Amino acid sequence: MSLDINRKIIQKNAFRITKKRNKTAIRIRVPGGHLQTKYFSIIAQIAEEYGNGSVHITTRQGFEIPDIDFKFITEVNKLLAPLINGLECSIGVSIDNPEDGYPAAGIRNISACIGNRVCPFANLDTTNLALKMEKEVYPNNFHVKIAITGCPNDCIKAHLQDFGIIGMTEPQYIYNNCIGCEACVKVCTKSVTGALSLHNHKIKKDHRRCIGCGECILKCPTSAWVRSEKTFFRLIILGRTGKKNPRLATTFLNWATEDVVIQVIKNIYALIDKEIDKSLAKEHVGYIIDRIGFNVFKAAVLKNVTLNKEIKVAQTLVFMGYQYEKDVFMNLLPHSTF
Amino acid sequence: MKKNITKEEFNKIFNLLSEYYNVYAPVKKKGDGAFSNTDIIYYEKVTNYDDIEWNEKSTYSPKDIIFPISQTIMNFTYDQVYVPDIKSIKPIYILMRPCDINGIKRLDEIFLRNGVEEDFYYKRLREKVFFALIECVDGFENCFCVSMNANKSSDWDFAISNNKHQSLISIEINEVKNSKIKNIFESLFSTNTTNNNSNNSNNSNNNDNFEIFYPEKNFKKVTLPNVEEMPSFIYTDSKLWDEYKERCIACGRCNTTCVTCSCFSTNDLHYDDNPNVGERRRVWASCHIPKFSLMAGGHDMRKDNASRMRFKTFHKIYDYKKRFGEEKNHMCVGCGRCDDNCPEYISFSTIINKLSARLISKEKI
Amino acid sequence: MNMIKNIYIPSPHIIIDIIKETEIESTYKFKIDKSTFKHPSYGQFYEVSLPMIGEAPISVSNFEDDYVDLTIRKVGTLTNAIHCLKKGDVVYLRGPYGNSFPVDLLTDRHLVIAAGGCGLSPVRSVINYFYKNIEKLSKFEVLMGFKTINDLLFKYDIEKWEQKFKSLITLDQSCELWQGKPVGLITDYVGQVDFSDKDNMSVIIVGPPIMIKFTAEKFIASGIKKENIIVSLERNMSCGVGKCGHCKIDSTYICCDGPIFTYDQAERLID
Repeated sequence: MSLDINRKIIQKNAFRITKKRNKTAIRIRVPGGHLQTKYFSIIAQIAEEYGNGSVHITTRQGFEIPDIDFKFITEVNKLLAPLINGLECSIGVSIDNPEDGYPAAGIRNISACIGNRVCPFANLDTTNLALKMEKEVYPNNFHVKIAITGCPNDCIKAHLQDFGIIGMTEPQYIYNNCIGCEACVKVCTKSVTGALSLHNHKIKKDHRRCIGCGECILKCPTSAWVRSEKTFFRLIILGRTGKKNPRLATTFLNWATEDVVIQVIKNIYALIDKEIDKSLAKEHVGYIIDRIGFNVFKAAVLKNVTLNKEIKVAQTLVFMGYQYEKDVFMNLLPHSTF
Repeated sequence: MKKNITKEEFNKIFNLLSEYYNVYAPVKKKGDGAFSNTDIIYYEKVTNYDDIEWNEKSTYSPKDIIFPISQTIMNFTYDQVYVPDIKSIKPIYILMRPCDINGIKRLDEIFLRNGVEEDFYYKRLREKVFFALIECVDGFENCFCVSMNANKSSDWDFAISNNKHQSLISIEINEVKNSKIKNIFESLFSTNTTNNNSNNSNNSNNNDNFEIFYPEKNFKKVTLPNVEEMPSFIYTDSKLWDEYKERCIACGRCNTTCVTCSCFSTNDLHYDDNPNVGERRRVWASCHIPKFSLMAGGHDMRKDNASRMRFKTFHKIYDYKKRFGEEKNHMCVGCGRCDDNCPEYISFSTIINKLSARLISKEKI
Repeated sequence: MNMIKNIYIPSPHIIIDIIKETEIESTYKFKIDKSTFKHPSYGQFYEVSLPMIGEAPISVSNFEDDYVDLTIRKVGTLTNAIHCLKKGDVVYLRGPYGNSFPVDLLTDRHLVIAAGGCGLSPVRSVINYFYKNIEKLSKFEVLMGFKTINDLLFKYDIEKWEQKFKSLITLDQSCELWQGKPVGLITDYVGQVDFSDKDNMSVIIVGPPIMIKFTAEKFIASGIKKENIIVSLERNMSCGVGKCGHCKIDSTYICCDGPIFTYDQAERLID
């Protein structure tokens, strides 16, 4: 008896059509990219009992277990339940029945750099924020990519996401603690943006140049630079890889608080729902906004968002990217129903 | 006079003391560490027991209370020179562990007894400062105060111990010193204990006969070089110093956290708003940070980080004693803050041990 | 507490004359009131400052009862600013600091002074002292080295000195105007010194560290004892009074134990 599979349904269930006939693969989310080792045994069991004993580590910090017979979807989902419970339900994601597997796969795993659990440069616990974000945006079927990075080094490649969240601190200068050693000036000039200079044997900061990386704090031998109480974020948006027009994300919000970032990202879904080209199999959020324009986007995502007082909002977006053909965005059919 | 007191009583003493003194003690500053979500401990003004970090070593030493990081020494207004006064600063009590008390004594030697005359700015603050001891029993990971003979001090007006009694704080007043705290303490307790022994049920059970302990042993032990005169080969011994050319990044944290580092630079400036008004300022200097030994004209006497490491090492465990006399201790008090804070994990105690071992092995050859 | 003396307060002094020595060096003459301000001794230095600009140690290049000469080279913010001043302007001084050349101990000795470049400045007062009291020495010779003819200092003094004792000037680089005169490093001319009475000889060497080292070695090789060689060391002195630590070498603070040392002392100072 030949298999009869509803591709749309199994895709939402985080399974996929693969190159091999009758074989599927399950994609496991690891929000924030940090996993308790106890879950390895579940992943191993699925791979060994239903797959080929191997697992692929995805670029988004999840796992993809290949070579599973479509007929074992139910069994695999049952085995996944403790993992879904532990990684999703326990952090507040609302999933009706974890035994049925993942309820959606549109929004991709929220990836995060290792963050301040380990990294000295990180301005926050990025995994924690990923978990917070996960419950706000998952389950959801629209294809949106989010990544969180602890500092502007952007080790997670937030610049290639629809929403890249970059952790920042606003260094506070304690004038009397400064010995004018210029360690901060040196690092800012050589490795960052040159926001600092020595003036009257103390430090002068060009606030417009500061990207909140915190290098000055790390280098200061007298703690004359300390972290701000609040953690801030730069929200860079609409970066992408992809065939048509790869490009780096660009800054939409600077010095935003966590609340603002979460609300803005939540607001994207109503906009996508309203504007997406339903005639297409899928339309990537970046191309939707290319089509409807920045001002429409801006009005929609900032709707009902109370902006923090430190925030700066982009007036326009300038992207660094390229097309394979110059006229790729031109209407190739001059007499079509434009 | 020794007494076990409650936290409430301690705070009462604090309140009375605060009328006359600013009390400085180690305070944990949440989130002020260099790395995100980390803390730092430094000396700050405190007003009650719970302000104080009793259990951990402070990241920075208390020296900046007497030798501020950045201090205006003269104000200039057109052709007038003014010395800012410190009349408004109250006398100060600093609550310190024994190594730090000894560390301040080392600063006294440099600022008050080295060179031609006493240092005006140090002395006028130092005269306002009185010591209180925080009992230190076990020390911490990188301490080597015992090796440096800086583990004990009797130069305190009162000592505080949190180790004698589960719920009470043990205080000993130094009878030898005629201090304000002694008067406060006497007015609160000495009459109390004789008259109200029966009322004060708390006290009858307490053994007020405790001893203040000092560290007798550290995890780290250093062997000091046992030579009259440093042989000249050791200054340029590449086996000993060369690794620090690369390992040391010249950040200066070992100097800024050290209780005995006393070097400073003098800077002049005028204010942006009025070029006729400005100041002369004294700011901490560090022998590891570039420009310390740079002469006008561009010649630097110690350019590489290895020679700076050698300079600091000898300064701390050889030169000082050589200059001020055999009966003195070395400058280093073994507080271990340099080791606690080196971002490159350079251990000063290891350097001292390596130096001593090198001297012995070379002697044999 | 008000009794503590503030050793850091400088006092204003009027520039009574400026003598341009070279493109980058000038000698500033300050009026000194002996009753209110301490007079220097040979080889000592003052902390010189301009409020709001900075402070630096400058050695005394000459002094008399009523004035002090400071020869200042343009090398930094402060010295650049001083070079913009005019006669009648005010400069702040504190000091004098450091030890001094033991001129009394040199009585009846054969003194040789070797000075390289602006090293001549701290010994100029010594030379002038013996110029006036030439009978106090059994013999006096001065060797001076400069880079070029344009770097010559105290030409007006040298002209006087040449009248009374051997004053040899050598230039690193010769030029047309220097035809037939000594060229080369000071070390090349140590051999011309009269070594007939070695035990009664004292040598003063001042100049850049390298020059001091090689010149001293020449004299030692010629049989002069290290303790009879006197040098003046230059370091990054800042406070001038043994507190700030910048000029410390080993257990020695150059600003108060020095800047003048015998060569056997100096040689043991490893930076």
